[in-house]
Amino acid sequence: MSSKPAAADLVVLNGRVYTVDSARSWANAFAVRGGRIIAVGDEAAVKPLTGEGTRVLDLDGRMAMPGIVDVHTHMMMGGQAALFELRISNMERRDGILKKVRAAAEKTPEGKWVIGAQWGSDLIATINTEESLRLLDEASLGRPVLLRDDTYHNRWVNTAAMRVAGVTAANADPEQGSFGRDPGTGALTGLMIESASGMIERAIVSSGHYTDEMDRAAMAHSIATLNEHGVTAFLDAAATQPVMAALKGLDDRGELTAWVCAAMPVTEPSFMFGIAGEELFALRETFRSAHVRPDFTKVFLDGVPGARTAAFHEPYTPDPVFGCCFRGATLASVPELVRWVGRCEKLGLSVKIHCAGDAAVTQALDAIDVVRSFNGPTKLVHHIAHASYIAPEDIRRFAELGVAADLSPFIWYPTAFLEGHKQTMGVERATRFWPNRDLLAAGTLMAGGSDWPVIPNPDPWNGMEGLVTRQNPSGDFAGESLWPEQALDIATVLEIFTINSARVMGLDGTIGSLEIGKSADFIVLERNVLEVPSDEIADTKVLSTWFEGRKVYERG
Amino acid sequence: MSEADAAKIPVTVLTGFLGSGKTTLLNRLLRRPAMAGAAVIVNEFGEVGLDHLLIEASEEQFTLLDNGCVCCTVRGDLVETLKELERRSRRGETPRIERVVIETTGLADPVPILHTLIAEPELAARFRVGGIVTTVDAVNGFATLGRHAEAAKQIAVADHLLVTKTDLASPETVQALGRRLDALAPTATRGIASNGEADFAALDALAEDETGKRKRLAAWLEKATALPVHGLMHEHGHAGHDCGPDCDHDHSHHHHAHDHGIRSYSFVIDEPVEWASFARWLDYLAMLKGEDMLRMKGLVCRADDPARPMVLHGVQHVFHPPVRLDAWPSADRRTRLVFIVRGIAREMIATTLVKFAGIGAGSIDPPARSAA
Repeated sequence: MSSKPAAADLVVLNGRVYTVDSARSWANAFAVRGGRIIAVGDEAAVKPLTGEGTRVLDLDGRMAMPGIVDVHTHMMMGGQAALFELRISNMERRDGILKKVRAAAEKTPEGKWVIGAQWGSDLIATINTEESLRLLDEASLGRPVLLRDDTYHNRWVNTAAMRVAGVTAANADPEQGSFGRDPGTGALTGLMIESASGMIERAIVSSGHYTDEMDRAAMAHSIATLNEHGVTAFLDAAATQPVMAALKGLDDRGELTAWVCAAMPVTEPSFMFGIAGEELFALRETFRSAHVRPDFTKVFLDGVPGARTAAFHEPYTPDPVFGCCFRGATLASVPELVRWVGRCEKLGLSVKIHCAGDAAVTQALDAIDVVRSFNGPTKLVHHIAHASYIAPEDIRRFAELGVAADLSPFIWYPTAFLEGHKQTMGVERATRFWPNRDLLAAGTLMAGGSDWPVIPNPDPWNGMEGLVTRQNPSGDFAGESLWPEQALDIATVLEIFTINSARVMGLDGTIGSLEIGKSADFIVLERNVLEVPSDEIADTKVLSTWFEGRKVYERG
Repeated sequence: MSEADAAKIPVTVLTGFLGSGKTTLLNRLLRRPAMAGAAVIVNEFGEVGLDHLLIEASEEQFTLLDNGCVCCTVRGDLVETLKELERRSRRGETPRIERVVIETTGLADPVPILHTLIAEPELAARFRVGGIVTTVDAVNGFATLGRHAEAAKQIAVADHLLVTKTDLASPETVQALGRRLDALAPTATRGIASNGEADFAALDALAEDETGKRKRLAAWLEKATALPVHGLMHEHGHAGHDCGPDCDHDHSHHHHAHDHGIRSYSFVIDEPVEWASFARWLDYLAMLKGEDMLRMKGLVCRADDPARPMVLHGVQHVFHPPVRLDAWPSADRRTRLVFIVRGIAREMIATTLVKFAGIGAGSIDPPARSAA
């Protein structure tokens, strides 16, 4: 060698490095300088980059791979849930919930809120009675109580909470939502469907319950939680002003340990409160920082199947309130959607559209088809979240229109969620859920998202196992599998959670694979996920997580 | 419709680049007896040396219209001034206003003024657009067009062009300018103004109500759709070369800089259209491409009412409410659409008409094809 190359900051040796680079899937070693990868290959190529100050990481034959990219999170809520709220499993039944509320109320000062999440939405019928409200009132010892369901679209609140928010039996249902009423007596039950939830949530916000400090702490906690599971990039799917302020604040202090895309809501979501749309977009550049890209918007096109608020082509099962032929409805028409998508494209913003029902998916694709036809090709990638119930004739349209399928939440297996769907849609339709194999065959760009904390755990390994086995990794719902023909192989799943997710976030030049020039975001695993039996993928432990060549998590 | 429309006060917009002779023309125009009932809105007092009925100064102020439209800019100053003029006229505090002339600044975009008249509900109920008149200086106009996108837009959206200072320019220069105007505003009528003198009857015609307009519209569409394809399709700027002596553009540019991407084209559709689908297509077009659709006019044969055509008139993303005529203005009963656009491909219009307006590809003339 004629000249000695500049030394690396970090050299990683003796590993089984899965690069997710199609040109070279495996390597033994790589080197990092200035947070970027400067060499990948065998040790002979990388070792010479070791200098005096170089840190050497010996993997001892373990697997390393790019950091996981999660395209659907609600970061602030995740942190708030973990730090400040009562945790309720969606397997918990009514009596168990009441017991937890009582215990929390005993520890809560008078006049302060008890906030909890997230009860199973399959409990809606049980909760929606005068008797259930009376029991909740008894358990809450006079404190206002708000309990979010596992979809985060609905709430169960007590009489004190309704009093604070000014909700009485005389109130008419709000637009795009409703107050639960006892089917027998017609009295309020404290069940808040969709936009009704906002009336109570806004009362909490105006009470000053969440402070700026709490916001920052929640965000930092959320990011640490993601790093722990190997996540080094995410898209916040309802980035309101406090969310972006907290992200930028952390990045400016050098404390942000992930790449972030922020999706600013086009209208105020039912679960996050504050300014939205043009008013929020106008602040976009003030929140851009080294690692924060406010280059997305979020449209909520429908609700969730368990609450019959998702929009379907075929009717829900008959119901005393909704009648025989209710199909749900979308929250915007095709022209309204066209207007928003067109406007966002003009501003250089990609749009993530929440579509839980198949009719919502069709409508979103229709609108994007209109925009593509008039505007021509674009580099922007729009997302359909959660791409779960999809009419067969719509499958091919994702690839044709260049729309990404945001597969979230990553629980593609039998759950309490699915039980709720079965109640409202019948077993057969409810289980034609997540046609991932068909999407793959059609050439769809698929990405992985947790929808944390809508699902209480952002651990992607759990989701990856479900994608491969279509069974519940926890052992719940043993012996059941959800549409097993739609299973994917683990190599495809790893791509979905790395390079594909990077691509749909517009960051594939920077992250998503271990290649020269990309950010040195990687994780070290205690097992080779490509070799373990598929029902053990969820047991994968992340030993350490590295962001820009710095260790940001190490398993204790 | 016609009656209601006839009761509305016509507003003529007088625009033109700096030094193109707007004020001279306005001074002369206002001396005419026909303008006795006219109120004039100018950007600033001083230059209009006339003791006229009403002269109001109004300084450009842009506001967003609060109608859910995310891109509709209107002139907030004009909203107030026009409302006040109308109020005083109605209360008898001033003589009855029969016409309004708005003189813009030389750099003004006339389109927000049209938006103001069409989209502000209170004004739309009392005023109607009485045409856009644009003055073009024969001496400097060609060069100005090359340098200033504002000047090109003022011409592209004009109903009537008045070429000024022709006595000071060489015949070659005037001819070259004429060819440029053909390309930028193929359907605008054109006249010459000399020392403020012009064919004022042509201006009066602009302010006519719908009945009078119908005749002009028919003539306008005949003219637009009868133009040879290459005359109307300026897909790549000028096919030939018509640079005048002032031509200073960069010849190696892909697009001629002085076109600012503005071109025009028309379609004839030889089948009645389903109005609901067509209206939805129009809605999408205005929503997504409105900014670059400087002017669109059309006469549409509805499948459910083929004897009574719909008149379309759009400026950028704002459309006059479509008007149904009692009869076709000529023997030709085919749908005709004329566009003056900035950088919108003709093929896109054709393919989206097929896809979203439900029109058979074989019925559209010219069909999608590469530029002539």
